[in-house]
Parts: sequence; structure tokens; C-alpha cells
Amino acid sequence: MNYFSHIRPAAASLVLFLTGTGGHGAEAPVPGSLPPETAAVTGILLEPAVLRVEAGRSLTFLVTARLADGFEADITSPAVVTLSDPDKASAGEPGVIHGKAPGTVILTAVHGLHRVEVPVEVLPSSGEPPSFVGDVLPILGKSGCNAGACHAKADGQNGLRLTIFSFDPQSDYRNIVDGARGRRVFPADPPESLLLLKATQSVPHEGGARFERGSEAWHTLVSWIGSGMTWQNAGEPALASVSVLPSTRRYRKGAVQRLVVKAHYTDGSVRDVTALAQFESNNKEAAIVSEDGRITAGPSSGQAVVVARFMGMVGGSQVLVPEDRLLPAGDYQSLPVHNFVDELSWKHFQQLGLLPSGLCSDSEFLRRATLDTLGVLPAPEEAAGFLADPDPDKRIKAVERLLQHPAWADHQAAKWADLLRPNPDRAGVKSVYLLDQWLRESFRHNKPFDQLVREIVVAQGNTHRFGPAVIYRDRREPEDLTTMFSQVFLGVRLDCARCHHHPNEKWSQEDFYRMAAFFGPLKQKGGGISAPISGGNETFFVSAGRPLKHPVTGEVMQPKPPDGPAPTVVEGQDPRRALADWMLHPDNPFFARAMANRLWASFFGRGLVDPVDDFRLSNPPSHPALLDALAAELVRVKFDGKALARTILQSRLYQLSSRPNATNAADTRHFSRAYRRRLGAETMADAIADITGVPTKYPGLPEGSRAVQAWTYKIDSRTMDAFGRPNSSSDCPCERNLKPSIGQALHLMNSEVLQGKLSSRETASRVQRLAASTLPPSAVVSELYLACYGRLPDEEESCVATAAFTGDPAGRRQAIEDILWALLNSAEFVFNH
Amino acid sequence: MAIHQNCDGTLRRDFLQLGLRGLMGYGLCDLMRFKAQAAAAAGTLPKNINCIMIWLDGGPSHFETFDPKPGAPAEIRGTFPTVATSVPGVHFSEPVSKLAGVFDKFTVVRSIAHRDPNHGGGNHYMMTGAPTPVPVGCGAFVTFHPSMGSMVSHSRGVQGGLPAYMAMPSNTRSGGPNFLGGQHAPFIIPGGPNAKSFRVNDVVLPADIAEGRVQSRRHLREALDRMQRSNDKLVEDPAVEFDRFYEQGFDLVSSARAQEAFDISREDPKVRERYGRNDMGQRFLLARRLVEVGVSWVTVNWGGWDHHNEIETAYKGDSLKSLDQGVSALLTDLDERGLLDTTLVLLLGEFGRTPKINERGGRDHWPHAMSVLMAGAGIPGGQIVGATDARGYYASENVYRPEDFAASIYTKMGIDPHQHLETTAGRPVQLVNDGRLIRELFV
Repeated sequence: MNYFSHIRPAAASLVLFLTGTGGHGAEAPVPGSLPPETAAVTGILLEPAVLRVEAGRSLTFLVTARLADGFEADITSPAVVTLSDPDKASAGEPGVIHGKAPGTVILTAVHGLHRVEVPVEVLPSSGEPPSFVGDVLPILGKSGCNAGACHAKADGQNGLRLTIFSFDPQSDYRNIVDGARGRRVFPADPPESLLLLKATQSVPHEGGARFERGSEAWHTLVSWIGSGMTWQNAGEPALASVSVLPSTRRYRKGAVQRLVVKAHYTDGSVRDVTALAQFESNNKEAAIVSEDGRITAGPSSGQAVVVARFMGMVGGSQVLVPEDRLLPAGDYQSLPVHNFVDELSWKHFQQLGLLPSGLCSDSEFLRRATLDTLGVLPAPEEAAGFLADPDPDKRIKAVERLLQHPAWADHQAAKWADLLRPNPDRAGVKSVYLLDQWLRESFRHNKPFDQLVREIVVAQGNTHRFGPAVIYRDRREPEDLTTMFSQVFLGVRLDCARCHHHPNEKWSQEDFYRMAAFFGPLKQKGGGISAPISGGNETFFVSAGRPLKHPVTGEVMQPKPPDGPAPTVVEGQDPRRALADWMLHPDNPFFARAMANRLWASFFGRGLVDPVDDFRLSNPPSHPALLDALAAELVRVKFDGKALARTILQSRLYQLSSRPNATNAADTRHFSRAYRRRLGAETMADAIADITGVPTKYPGLPEGSRAVQAWTYKIDSRTMDAFGRPNSSSDCPCERNLKPSIGQALHLMNSEVLQGKLSSRETASRVQRLAASTLPPSAVVSELYLACYGRLPDEEESCVATAAFTGDPAGRRQAIEDILWALLNSAEFVFNH
Repeated sequence: MAIHQNCDGTLRRDFLQLGLRGLMGYGLCDLMRFKAQAAAAAGTLPKNINCIMIWLDGGPSHFETFDPKPGAPAEIRGTFPTVATSVPGVHFSEPVSKLAGVFDKFTVVRSIAHRDPNHGGGNHYMMTGAPTPVPVGCGAFVTFHPSMGSMVSHSRGVQGGLPAYMAMPSNTRSGGPNFLGGQHAPFIIPGGPNAKSFRVNDVVLPADIAEGRVQSRRHLREALDRMQRSNDKLVEDPAVEFDRFYEQGFDLVSSARAQEAFDISREDPKVRERYGRNDMGQRFLLARRLVEVGVSWVTVNWGGWDHHNEIETAYKGDSLKSLDQGVSALLTDLDERGLLDTTLVLLLGEFGRTPKINERGGRDHWPHAMSVLMAGAGIPGGQIVGATDARGYYASENVYRPEDFAASIYTKMGIDPHQHLETTAGRPVQLVNDGRLIRELFV
């Protein structure tokens, strides 16, 4: 509930006093407060709605102006604030009240003709001394003492060692109170404690001054040391959640907004922790935030989340910065809508002031859709047929053909292999091969995602017989499985919580190890890992035992999924079934979103959440409603990936041009234009082989195999190395690099491999066939254009290219080689656009 | 967000970012140390040092090379006699007697030690300055952290179309870029440069393409590559970056100086002889030619140094002869050309060998002591740093860790070893964790 003001004539005299201007006219802005171009103020409000503070503590609040143009403005600083009883509570710097004595006081804020009054309840002081857990740790956190680069380094810093993000408060307490033979605290004269002398740099401190003598932090620590260094007060409530005001708001570029952070405790009490919270913006183009929690919107339009972190809990403030000039609604009404993807996208663009780029050409569409769906280029005759087809529904029909194409399975399986494929040096050749074949088989049958993942999550059996069991051979410890499964199937990087509380999310070590507990009873027998051959096989089975312990507390962990209910697991049964049931339930908040987002990314080059496996409050989807709708659709079609791919491919959004328009040049995350992407390693290798008609022979693969069919990244290929296939030495080998590099340019320009394919005399070679044919140069050029670009050359291009033919029959072959070389070295070939 | 994108060290913007991110882990303490070190290093080091790293995969013996123990019992000292070096009082073992003759050009650090006795883990530790976070077996090729070569590439970028980091004839086990990204993987030059038919791949024109044809191809490409680019930075059009690499690529192909450097057959036959007419010797020579034209980091990867059997026979064999001849020729040649001041030369493997010769006449893995040859870039000649105990078991004086080694190399290369990088998962990582400089290299 907000307290809105009404214009009160009685306030006019006060306004006169404050502003020095007449009380007439609709608005008399306070000098230096709001920019002159700001729209008229229609009302002011005070947040939070309930103001309650303990005597001896401070409280922050916001005064917000509602503007005639629908925006709000932070006027906490220019507003004039008075308190009815300065003995009970006093105003400090703008936006801060200090509680002094119990009772109720009225806080009045006045801005121009507007006025708002809110009661402030000052509660009696608890009388408890500050505690380490409740008061000291937050100060250490805010001051950066336990940052990874300072005292939370593995060996601490200059003798003082703290745990990163306070994951082990008891150890921190011991190190401060008892460490260095007790020199750090000096209860007889608290200000002389080494802890304070260092933090205020009264003695040399490599980390500089972290707070000042006399500051609130300093007073709290003095009081804590002086009162006997309490660990925790009796009955001290635990932190339950953190919230931030304003929770969501739209801003003009350049607008400044303070944040208020509140900590909510298990006993229902609320504490203002604005001064102790740490802030971060996820999108510094749209919003930056200062250390004391002030947002500045812009310089670019867009969305951001500013996260406030306090003692392992996070709260967020959503920031929306629209384009300066929104476009008329009519611009959007005329846009074609193919399905819900478009409907939601146009609405989203309208809010952001973006207009989608135009429709891509037929050739761009076919090339893009074929690359994204199958990982290959359209064959020249296919492209020619499609371009000539007058059928208005030809794109829809092409999508259907692509989805039924056998190459779908290999291309999709290769994407999943990036996530699951072990290094054969570690897991063994046969094992890795079996897992690879199982994945390909799964996609040949279009196995629904839930079934595919269930087979992995509950896999048992022998690694030389059953592919999914190989994942357990590679990821041998429950912790490794927890890391992989949470990241791949839930889109959550729980791994951070393995060693310390997740810095940007609520995930704790307890969440991590309770998920790991699902894998405790999984056992193996047989030949283990013996790199570099690892030729043995082993069998995985479930039997009771191997409890998982919390690494800090030593407590035995009962299985429980993150954010889910603890299942009842009967001793001797496979607890992973309960994990799979939870994970794959249609209502699961993670799985469908994670899968939909991955699939989306494979068609658009980036996820709605990006990176695709990093869902968190501080990394929200660029378009939440669309992700929700895609996830719902995936549930509706029973996790049929092909069905969701169809929806994506048929949308108008997917078919936008990559050329920016006047409104969307800066849009790199809302998909208002197609984003150019370099061809991936396997796709590039296969495309070169297809275009030249000279296949590459890969060691360890059957004759005629394509790059996308490789079962390991270790297969020798300079082309794939140059174009950023994952490094099989990495753990995990899952990172793909899509950046252009000098190595790629040099490889396409000069490599003997490519030149060998151009100059090949094999009969299947395209150059050989065209050179030997009697086709006129223009027909040769057309075929090369269709093969590389999926389109015909325009008149000028044809003219330039055919000029390379000198008429000398001996030069014909060289001309064809050179034209093809030029096309293969052009951006239009190297990129999917 | 990568903190360091630039080629010439830290920018003001980096400092601002560090300041802003102070609470995320880039503490002020590091910032201050960083400034102090940068200031200290900038005053004394020449810019643009290039490095040739000769990597003896498997782990060479310190006993049979730079740290002989003639006073130890026979089962430890082995059969090779010692040889006097060009510095009175310092002796090496006979297999490196040519190097002993040019000891005035390099330092040997006899006291680098770590605790990882596996090839996989030891390689990683010495190549990246970071131990593996989990035990890694002997057969493993692992990367958990960027290699020094990749970091140099990341820091310097592509210059004149030349990849900054090259490796011959293959990458080392942990020589990859890890989270720095595939564009910082080494450019591999396979093949044997001693062969008449040898050509460096990709950076030179294919064999059957004449120079005139290159020009016509280039013109054809320029005329046909018509996809519209968006030069507006906000668009983040990857085709713009692609164009930049092509420009550099063409520069490289048309640079007579660079092309000549790649063509080892143009080297004076006498010089080729001096390095030894074998693939390794010629790789050292090619490495010199590459750093001469501005390649920042060249690794020569040489496998087969894991002598669990018959070490005496092995160290009497061709490998040692090639090594001794090739490295001493490289150092002499660099010195004569005035390149040693700006070229750092490193010779090492992942660890030393066990003091006691085993029943198969070999020595096993021993990370507690190893000898590392370091030369150039201001490193004194004729210097022994540290020592092992009388029987070569443990580094015992001025003991340095791989972190110290890496911090020293980075400092020589003008890279702040304590800077923070961000992994792809957004985790802040220190380039070298707490390494201190090997001070004898900075006199």
C-alpha cells in the first residue's frame, strides 16, 4: 500500500518558504531537483509503506514523485523531510532516519505542492549487544574483507584468513577472536583492537581503509568487542529473505534512483540493511549501481536487474529503460503474427521502443533454417528449387522437410554431446563411443527430453553396454554429478555452492550437498579409470550406504532437490528416481525452461537466458513472458523437441533479417533482428567438404563419415581446431568458441587442406566437374553461388565473377578455383546470417 | 567480461572496473599491489619480450644435465662424468657439455619444486602456474587454467597478422587457453622442418599458388564479398572483426619479411648445420625466425623424456646430442644477433627424476627438485640459482614453486601475474596465485 498525497492548499505557505517562488501554477519545481524537461509531478509517495525502526538503528526510505508521463522520479534528496518529535527520531542525510526513543512520530515529506505524511514507529532497543552472526559478518562482507582477493584467499592474507562469502562463520569467528594469539581484538580498549586499526588504516593495511573511525560500522565493532564478542544472541532470529525497493521500475536514461534493502527474519522482524548490502547490476549498459545502492539508468535502453546481496540472500530491483522515443502502437498492429512467439515479441518490442527488422529473404531463410536445424548448407538444387517455388507456404513446407530430414539427429545429438561427452583418454574409447551412439539413436527417434533425461538420471548397468551409464564413469563423485545435472538439466550453476554460498543466488552448500545425496547410494564395480587408455568397463548399481556429509558442519545430508520438497526414499531404493520425478514433472520450475532456452539458443545463437545454463535472479531472461510461454508449450507437446523447433522455425521472429533498422541497432539480446553467427566447427568442416565435393577422411571414423558424426573431439582436424570445437583436454570439454580469429582467416585463405580440395582431380570434385563441363561461365558461377550462399548471383556479381574466365580453356579451371576460393573466404559464407 | 582486452597493459578503465567490482572480489589490496608492481616492472624491463619455451615432456633428469652429484653414491650419481662450464667452479653433466661451454649466456635454477608426480598434473602446474584442482593421472592432457602462451596471446593480441602464440610440432598437454577462449590456442606448426618439403601451414601460400594469383584472388574476393557490414559498434557485427583478421592475414601473406621468416630453407646452410640437421634443431632455428618477426611465444614440444628404463643409454643417444647442440646453438645465435636481450628462452619439463637409479637402470618421476634453464630478457648468464641437497633429493636453497616460476615469466613478459581474470562462469580467478618473483632473474 502506498501513501499518496493530495494537493493541500494548506501547504502552500510552506512551499513558498521552501522554493522561494509563488504558490501559483501547477508545478513549481524545486531548483536543482528534477531536470527541467521532466514531466509534471502528479503526486508523491513514500516507501516503504510501513516505517518501523529500533531505537539506536537507522532506517532508509524513498520519496518518489509520480509524473504525468507515467514515469516515476526519485525525489528523496530534494524533498523536504521533517519529523514531528526529534527526540524520538531524527532525520540524517537525505532518506535516512535515526531511531532514538520508543514511540510514534510523523514523518512529513514535501515537494512542491505535494505533501505526504507517514507514521514512523520507533521500537524499543532490544538491549542485546551486537552479535558476530547478526552484525559483524555483514560489516566484514560489505567492507570486502572476505572477498576472494583479500582475506578469503586460500591462505588468507597477511595471517588473517576468512571464508569466502562467510561460508564457515565459526571459522571466521575463531580467526578473528582467537587468531594471531588474540591480538585482533582488545576488549579492554576496543578501538585499539588490531581489527579496527587495520580496517581504518590507522596502522598500515595493504587493503587500505575499509571504513572510517567513528562510522556506524566502526561503532558496531567497538560495541561488539567491548561487550564481549557475542557469537549469537539467545533467540536471535535467522535471516529468511531479502527484498529491495523499488522492486521494479521504468526509468528515463540518466535517472538516478536510490534503493532500500530490507532483511526479513524468521521471527517476522524486518531490518533495514541498505548500508550493509552489496549491489551489482547485470547489465551495465542499461543501469549501473554505486556501492551505496544508487542506480543510474542508461546510457542505453534495455533491461537490467540490480541485485542486492546480504548475508547469502539476494533481492532484486528490475530496471526497464525504454528508448527515448516510443513508437506509435499502430507500427506494431500491422506486424504479421505467425504464432505466440511473435505476439509476445511485438508486445515486448513495443515496450522497449524497438521495431523488428524486416523479413529475411527466401535464400537467407532456407540457409539459416537448414544450418540451424541440420548443421548443413542447402544443396544447390534444393536452394534453386526453393527460390523458384511460387507457393506462398513454401517456408512452412520447408520447415517440415527439414524436421523430417535424417541429419536432424546427428546435429542435435552433437549439441548434446557437447554437454555430456567425456574425454576418451579418461573414460575409454568404447565407453565414449557407446554414449555417443546412444545420443544419436535417441534423436533419431525424437525421444522426448523428459525421457532422454530420465534415462540418464536413473541410469545403471555396464558402461560397455549402456551409453548413459558412461556419464557415471566420467563423473564419478556425487558432487560432480550434482554440478553437471543442475547445470545441464536445470540451467542452474549450483557448482558455486559446492565450496561456498552462491554469490549471486540463494543457493547454499546445504542445497548442493542435499542434491548430491541423491547419488550417494550409486556404486560401481569393475575396471575403473586408468588413463590414457581406460579400456576397462564397470557396472553401476544402487545399494544403500555412502552418506553425503556437509563439508563444514559434517551433518549427514538427506536427499532433497534444490527448491523442491524432500522426497521419502525407502532404504535400498534408488533415490535418483525421486529426483527424476521431481525434475521432469510438468510443474517443475527449472526443467522445461532450461530445455526450451537451450533449444531457442540453438536457433537464435543466444538464449533468452544467456549463458543458457546460468538461470538466476541476477541473470534474468531478456523476455520472461516468452520463455514462460515456450516452456509451457514444451510441456504441452510433452517435451517433444522437434515440435518446439517447429514453433520456433515458423515464427516471424525467427525469419527476421539480420540487417538492423533505425531502432534496433543496439539490440543484442531481444531478438528484434537476427544475429549473425559464425558457422560452428563441424558445420564448417562439412560445408567445405560438401561445397568442394571432396570429403575429408577422418581417422577413427568409417569411410564417408561427416565431421558432425565424430564421436570424440580428439579426431585430427585442423579445420575443426581452427573453428573452435571444444578442447577435449578441458574439464568439461563443453566450451565452444564462436569468435572469429586470425587462425580461421589464415586457414581459409592458405590451408593446403582447402587448396587440395579446390585443386582435386577426383571425379566427384565440384571444381573438376565444372571445369570439365561445357557449362557457360555464368552457369558455373550460379552453381557456386547456390552451393556457398544458397542464392543466385545478381547481375553485377555474375559480371565480376564471369570476368575471371579469360576465354582461354587452360584458365577455366583456375577461374573456377579462384571464384570458389573467394566465396569460401567471404563473410556471407562464414556466417549464418 | 574480460578485464584485460588490451595489448599494452592496464588501462584506466581497468582500474575503474576493478574499483567498481571491489566487492565482487577484486579487492583494493590487490589493486594497490598491482600498481606498485606495474610501476616497478615498467622501469626495468624492455618492452615486447618474446619467449621460446622448449618443453621436454616426460621430465628430464636433473642429475644427467644441470645438477650432477659427483659426490653421491654410485646408484645416485650415475655413470656420466661432470664437465666444467665456462664459469669456474660450476659443473654440469657430460650429456650437456656444449651447453656447459655457453653457460655464460644462461641461468640454471636448480631449486624449483612441487608435489605433483604425475605427468598430467606436473605438466599443468609448470605450464600454467596453477596446480590441478583434482589429482590428474599420468596419461592425462588437462586444462583447468590458461597456459602462459595463451595468456601472452590474450594480452598482446594479433600483431601484423601473426598469431601471438605458436607451438611445434603439436600443442603441449596443458598448453591450451582454457577460459581465455579458442582464439588463444596455439597456432600449431606440424611437420619436420628438417625435411626438404617442409612448409609452414596456413601462414604461407599453398605450394601451387603463384604470387600473381594471390592478388587476383584477393581482388576477386573483395569484389564478391558483398554482405553488408554494420560498422556501428552497438550492432556487434562479427563480420567486422572477421574483416580485420582478413586484412591482417593479407598483410602477413604479402609481407616479404614474414614470408621469408617462415621459409627455413632460406637460412644460411652453415647456421642450419650449427643447430643440427634434425627436426628438433631445426625447430629451434624456426623458433628464432618466428620471434624475429614478432611472434610473442613459441613452444617447441618435445616428447619422450620419461626415462624409467636405461637412462644412461638414453642420455648417450641422439636426443641428448640434438638437445645439447640445438639449445647451445640457439643461445649463441640469439646472442650474436643481439636478440637475447629481448628473447626469453626456457628449457624445462614437468619435473625432475628420482635420485636412486631403479632396477631397470632408469629414474622415475621426482617433483621435489628440477633444474630449469632460463636465458635472455635480462636474465644473468653464468648464474646458478638455488641448490638441491648433496644427493639431489630435495631443493634445499632458495626453493621456488611453479607459481614463482610463472610469476617471474609473466613479469618478464610485461604481464601482471596477480591480475584477476574472469572465467566463463563469471568466477574471478587470479592469474598466478601468490607467486613471488625469482629475484635472481631480476638483477
